[in-house]
Amino acid sequence: MIKNGNIKRFLQNNAVFIAILVLVIITIIVEPKFLLPENLLNIMRQFGPLSFVALGMTLAIIGGFIDLSVPGIISLVAVLTISFIDRIGQVGALIAGVTAGCLMGILTSIIIISCGALSSAESVFLTFGMSAVYSALALLYTGGATQHMSYLDSSTTIFDTIGTGQIGIVPFSFILFVVLMLTLYVFQTKTRMGREICLTGGNKVAARLVGISIEKSVLLVFAISGTMAAVGSIVLFSRVTTASPLLGQGYETDAILAVVVGGTPLSGGKGSVLRTMMGVMLVTLLSNCMNLLGVSTYMQSVFEGAVLIMAIWIDHRRQK
Amino acid sequence: MINDATDIILSMENVNKSFPGVKALDNASIEIRRGVVHGIVGENGAGKSTLMKILSGVYEKDSGKIVFDGENIQHTTPILSLKRGLSIMYQEFNLVNTMTVGENIFLGRFREIGGMKAVHKRARELLDSIDCKIDTRRYVSELSSSEKQMVEICKALSFDSKLIIMDEPSSSLTEDELRRLGIIIKELRSRKISVIYISHKLDEIFEFCDYVTIIRDGRVIATKPTSDLSRSDMVAMMIGRTIEDEFPERPHCVKDIILEVQNLNTRKLHDVSFTLKRGEILGLVGLVGAGRTEIVRALFGADKVFGHSVIINGKKVNIKSPIDARNLGMAFVPEDRKSQGLILPFSVKTNISMASLKKLSRRGFLNTYEESKMAERQIEGLSIRTPSASTSVENLSGGNQQKCIIGRWLETEANILILDEPTRGIDVGAKYEIYLLMKQVVENGGSIILISSELPEVLNMSNRVLTITEGRITGEFNPEEVSAKDIMNMAIG
Repeated sequence: MIKNGNIKRFLQNNAVFIAILVLVIITIIVEPKFLLPENLLNIMRQFGPLSFVALGMTLAIIGGFIDLSVPGIISLVAVLTISFIDRIGQVGALIAGVTAGCLMGILTSIIIISCGALSSAESVFLTFGMSAVYSALALLYTGGATQHMSYLDSSTTIFDTIGTGQIGIVPFSFILFVVLMLTLYVFQTKTRMGREICLTGGNKVAARLVGISIEKSVLLVFAISGTMAAVGSIVLFSRVTTASPLLGQGYETDAILAVVVGGTPLSGGKGSVLRTMMGVMLVTLLSNCMNLLGVSTYMQSVFEGAVLIMAIWIDHRRQK
Repeated sequence: MINDATDIILSMENVNKSFPGVKALDNASIEIRRGVVHGIVGENGAGKSTLMKILSGVYEKDSGKIVFDGENIQHTTPILSLKRGLSIMYQEFNLVNTMTVGENIFLGRFREIGGMKAVHKRARELLDSIDCKIDTRRYVSELSSSEKQMVEICKALSFDSKLIIMDEPSSSLTEDELRRLGIIIKELRSRKISVIYISHKLDEIFEFCDYVTIIRDGRVIATKPTSDLSRSDMVAMMIGRTIEDEFPERPHCVKDIILEVQNLNTRKLHDVSFTLKRGEILGLVGLVGAGRTEIVRALFGADKVFGHSVIINGKKVNIKSPIDARNLGMAFVPEDRKSQGLILPFSVKTNISMASLKKLSRRGFLNTYEESKMAERQIEGLSIRTPSASTSVENLSGGNQQKCIIGRWLETEANILILDEPTRGIDVGAKYEIYLLMKQVVENGGSIILISSELPEVLNMSNRVLTITEGRITGEFNPEEVSAKDIMNMAIG
């Protein structure tokens, strides 16, 4: 009996890893093209933008929130950054873009705090509203037109590197991801602020009653989420060299999918960015494998939804 | 008492119910006769609400026999109970605010009644039968507490209830409204409907009830015709137990004043002023909802305050949030351990260290080695029984969970410790350990504000007791000179 329980627990705790393995094996058997270097490089690149957004989302969910404002932030940051390159140079534009994302996150958090919308249901809808605002601003700013990096007069070498550069065989964006992930991991597990965010996500009432500032935690998680969305946005438009004002659409669901599939529960308090990396890997591989296997995009969405439902189901079983 | 079987509407025989660490009902046996008003009295936590929830089907009994209207009830659910003719009116009402009076009375049964027109017509008849003038098309959100109660009664009548249980029905009524409730209860009785009337307020028990059952510690102490009992008999039975060895010797370390609170006003509190001395245990006594918890929450900066002044060590301080309170050396153990005190899925260690993160970190980084040492220190010092410091705190017993919260505050070196119901729902042995801890705190120069619904606990541990009624401090006692009865009388108001 005990042994049986152990196996069950092992399966539950490592479900993502096992799922990735099974998926890869099936794909290799059916479509050996999977192992071609071009495909593997492609996977690492696809990994890029979503992985950054998912890192920020992980912190938000650990802090007890879900940040649906990321699509708006991604879109607005992209069009702002491209348009800044000609005005203030590429270094200035890069800094301005990331700062803008951070400020948008902070604005969202200030609105959440001043509305007193600290319950998860209320805050979700506020972030949803903020996404609409940021998306609309992106549309207003561009008049709906897609921005092209190739039309710019200034040099865009930094963005070219971020988008398609490689160090050895590893894409630059992947290295950036690993660095940011480790930074956030250390922040979450080793610093006081990181701990306070976990405590806030675990039980806001109890955290407040021991003298932890809930407001500070909220501000931090949304600032981080906004910053990471901005980084994801820059990686994304640098790779495709264009930015439509609707660039960020759909990223919030994919990010939540990656976080939950990775094993960070939506109930808050627990989880880790390392788990999210596994989640992003699964989500990316899933879409890559389905592409290779010739699954239609409509059917792919069905599978993604099914995986999300499975992840939540497994998480609930684990908690019982 | 002659027990003609047909005369009994409800009988409970040797009903038991345990929760982890607590025996909530201990061989409880009660018989309720048809067409009588039967009072149930007992202190907070005596088992009244557990009893009710078992009858309604919210909880399942562990063992025992329940017979309702001649039918042996094994399993039940709230809706089944209703259909059998057993209605419960909860203190906080079970009405949908955004629907009308008529809709609420026949909620979920519109079709079987025959459409909305019929619903309002039948509702009107029911309301008229208890001489109540509320328009059936008014929204429940617009009604006063008393009117809501009338709607609840009509709802019960609409199910042809044979037994209506009223839980603290008078808690939000004015005197006039209470008189009307009395008339309606008499009307119900004349229709051969039994009423179980649960209340703290002994005056009402004497006025309305034919029989009364006194419960204490989950046990039925006595069931008697109300006319056979005096008020003092009843209070004596409610408090009851001999309490010698349950408590350590009362500490006597009272020195100078450390804390002074003047004219504390909030939505529920009116001009509350009191002092706390170094080395003192100050007990706050009052009914649930009288304002005890509100006082300490306001003091700790957890609730909005209209105006007050707080002086600590002779210096006027401004406490705007729990952060300020903690930095001034205050500590708060809240009444609801699970929802307000602990972060349940987190480890014992995290729960102990959470108030001392500042002390544990240097340049923003946590010293996890120091954190583990802190946890071990408290686990050993308070003999917290846990497999390890990294065990999830939800796996601990109530007493050990409470010790984690107290240990958390001991690490902050707080000198004003606020304990709100520190021993609720924990077993006798762990209670004693918590009393010893309290004693240790005051012997080391700390001060304690103790709130408890268990009168013996307050009386045996405190140096001074304040009674609180309806948001005001109504009396100050030396528990060594005054009897429990007098304090209880004062608190009941």
